[in-house]
Amino acid sequence: MKERFEIDSNSNVLFVTSQCNNHCIMCCQPPQKDDDFNFCFNQNIKLIKSAPKETKVVCITGGEPTLAGDSFIELVSLVRKELPLTDIHVLSNGRAFSDNEFVHKLKVAGEDKVFIGVPLHSDFFRDHDIISGAKGAFNETMLGIYNLANEGILIELRIVINKLNYYRLPQLAKYIFKNLYFVSWVAFMGMEDTGWASKNAETIWVEPIDYASQLCRAVKELDDWDIPVAIYNIPLCLLPTEYHRFATRSISDWKTRYLDICNDCSVRFECCGLFGTSMRNYQGLKAI
Amino acid sequence: MRKYALLPFNFITILNHEILINELGDFIITPIGTVQKILSHSISDEDLYKTLVSNFFVTEEILPSLLDIYASRLRTKKGFLDDKTSLHIFVLTLRCNQNCIYCQASSQEETSKHCSMSLEDMTASVQMMFHSPSPNLTMEFQGGEPSLEIDLIRHGIETAEEINKEKNRKLTYVLCTNCRKLSDDMLELCKQYNILISTSLDGPSYIHNKNRGREDSYEKTIAGINKARAVLGNEFVSALMTTSELALDYPKEIVDEYVSDGFNGIFLRALNPYGLAAQNEDWKRYNQRFISFYKTAVDYIIEINKHGIFFREEYASIILRKMLTPYTTGFVDLQSPAGTINSVIVYNYDGYVYASDESRMLAEIHDYSFRLGKVTDKYEDVFCGSVAKRMGKIWANEALAGCSSCPIKVYCGADPVRHHSTQGDMYGFRPTSLVCEKNKAIIEYLFSLIVERGDEVLPIFRRWVK
Ligand code: SF4
Ligand code: SF4
Repeated sequence: MKERFEIDSNSNVLFVTSQCNNHCIMCCQPPQKDDDFNFCFNQNIKLIKSAPKETKVVCITGGEPTLAGDSFIELVSLVRKELPLTDIHVLSNGRAFSDNEFVHKLKVAGEDKVFIGVPLHSDFFRDHDIISGAKGAFNETMLGIYNLANEGILIELRIVINKLNYYRLPQLAKYIFKNLYFVSWVAFMGMEDTGWASKNAETIWVEPIDYASQLCRAVKELDDWDIPVAIYNIPLCLLPTEYHRFATRSISDWKTRYLDICNDCSVRFECCGLFGTSMRNYQGLKAI
Repeated sequence: MRKYALLPFNFITILNHEILINELGDFIITPIGTVQKILSHSISDEDLYKTLVSNFFVTEEILPSLLDIYASRLRTKKGFLDDKTSLHIFVLTLRCNQNCIYCQASSQEETSKHCSMSLEDMTASVQMMFHSPSPNLTMEFQGGEPSLEIDLIRHGIETAEEINKEKNRKLTYVLCTNCRKLSDDMLELCKQYNILISTSLDGPSYIHNKNRGREDSYEKTIAGINKARAVLGNEFVSALMTTSELALDYPKEIVDEYVSDGFNGIFLRALNPYGLAAQNEDWKRYNQRFISFYKTAVDYIIEINKHGIFFREEYASIILRKMLTPYTTGFVDLQSPAGTINSVIVYNYDGYVYASDESRMLAEIHDYSFRLGKVTDKYEDVFCGSVAKRMGKIWANEALAGCSSCPIKVYCGADPVRHHSTQGDMYGFRPTSLVCEKNKAIIEYLFSLIVERGDEVLPIFRRWVK
């Protein structure tokens, strides 16, 4: 994380808390129990006040930032006041948005600058609940997404691909088109091998070469329907060429890492590379 | 598997598969025997079970927490009802300069008098149109040949534009013309008001000329299309075909004609049993031949698409949109509640308002069952009058015997006017209904394509319905 914000960076982060009401089995920053709300809040105020006015985007994250309740809304207001040009990207599990009053407050505070990244792990509620480690999470998140849409807040769906959900990615894509066709875009994300993902590797780790075909079917279905879709965190050499156009350089600039073979690779500068924080490299990497 | 309860769904058997269909039109293709397993709580395929739950076919909760999502999606599907009547057809005249063998409007000689709308009735009709709450109003000019009445068209549009200064609706104009005599004046008027041209083209010259009863009809139509395209731009000119008995033998040739004329779609329309066309002898036989004609043509169109050409069949596209997308479909012949009055209304040259295009054709054979009132009557008395009320009881297929239990009803619609004219009873009797037979056959055919050749046809179908 940065001490100061940079105008063009994709990692200007306001960290709200390390607590969370989910316990996702692949969490890369496992939640803590400490009461850190005030400490973080004060830090964040400093960051916002000292940020360049032209900052393009700030990311509000945690843990689960909505656990801060009204001070989360306050934070959004403060960004709007101090940085009127800046987009506000909130990463949340979406459960708190099942309360439509809370969503309305967020809309009033964030106006048209706020967009929410919400993880959706499966079209089947129990798979989603198991992956997020909380019973009832799916229903709350789905309701939250509908409430956000109803307020006209932009939504990004984030799907972290793991061993428990990869084989239903095509069904998930269909589910999204049928039930959540109003989302702004859908991101399929490779997993980081760190935090609980490493601890639970047995249960959840799956190699991109093993899920590429399901992933591509899902991407194609959404793309056929004109729902914007992106692939994050998966190196280009692990995707069929016709899917390269969906892949973005998604890994935060301070985390990105390349291998020696990458130096000879013709797509090195379009490729997201690998997580610097990851414990292992994906199988099948090769310069192209 | 946990304990679960059923949500409303139905199924049909196609090519040894059971297709489960819910009230939203979402469907799941399953192996034969699946419904029995669902009922007896013995599904062993875990993946299928997950699909059933996530798509609202079964639920583990007595009051499913996400049922409101289902409700909201149903509201979207029925979205065509939100705006009320948006398509307003103005039948300007019965005069015509062609003698189509199946003329559905009982046209009159080009020179005959007393069968055109008066200027006063046009004014009253336009005023009535603005009583519709719809934010989008389409004025469609029909005939006979409406371009013979250019002054009437101009008067109608100018009246509408004037009223619209206050009402602020989105106005669209359509001229249905055979393109025989598209005068420069007419095209200038089209250019001025962005009028869309919808013409009739039945296929290659040997079919079109026979159908249209003139030696030079094809030539004239093509010349008219080209002239209109040159002035207005390609996207302003579309064509409709009607499948005469002769046409039934030439599905591919007709499609080829449309492709080579630069159209990117075709609407394969069956004949209507109205006007002159009612004398056509054996409707049942025609219906069956039309169904095989339709299948051959659609098969052929799919082949064309596989060669990288975008070309769609419009009727299939409407049904596929209902099957494959969460969106609403505003096509009056396949709606429930029916499109008559709810989505379309007709102001006839005789000064009366009719429930639909077919309703005014019945009037030509002295059947005034669907005459709603005079164009000078009050809006409420016409749109919510006694005829409308009577139709309202039987225009939702969810509530019609035969349809209510039909597994594919969400893709189909109710058609009281057609059943009145073919079965003498607007309620209709499905087992012998030809509309039912045709729609069922087409819907089942589309399903069979998806079951048998899904990977091949679905990417094409998705392009059609966007
Ligand atoms: S070799 Fe390196 S730079 Fe090239 S695609 Fe693979 S990970 Fe990316
Ligand atoms: S008309 Fe026939 S196909 Fe259509 S809903 Fe009724 S029974 Fe079904």
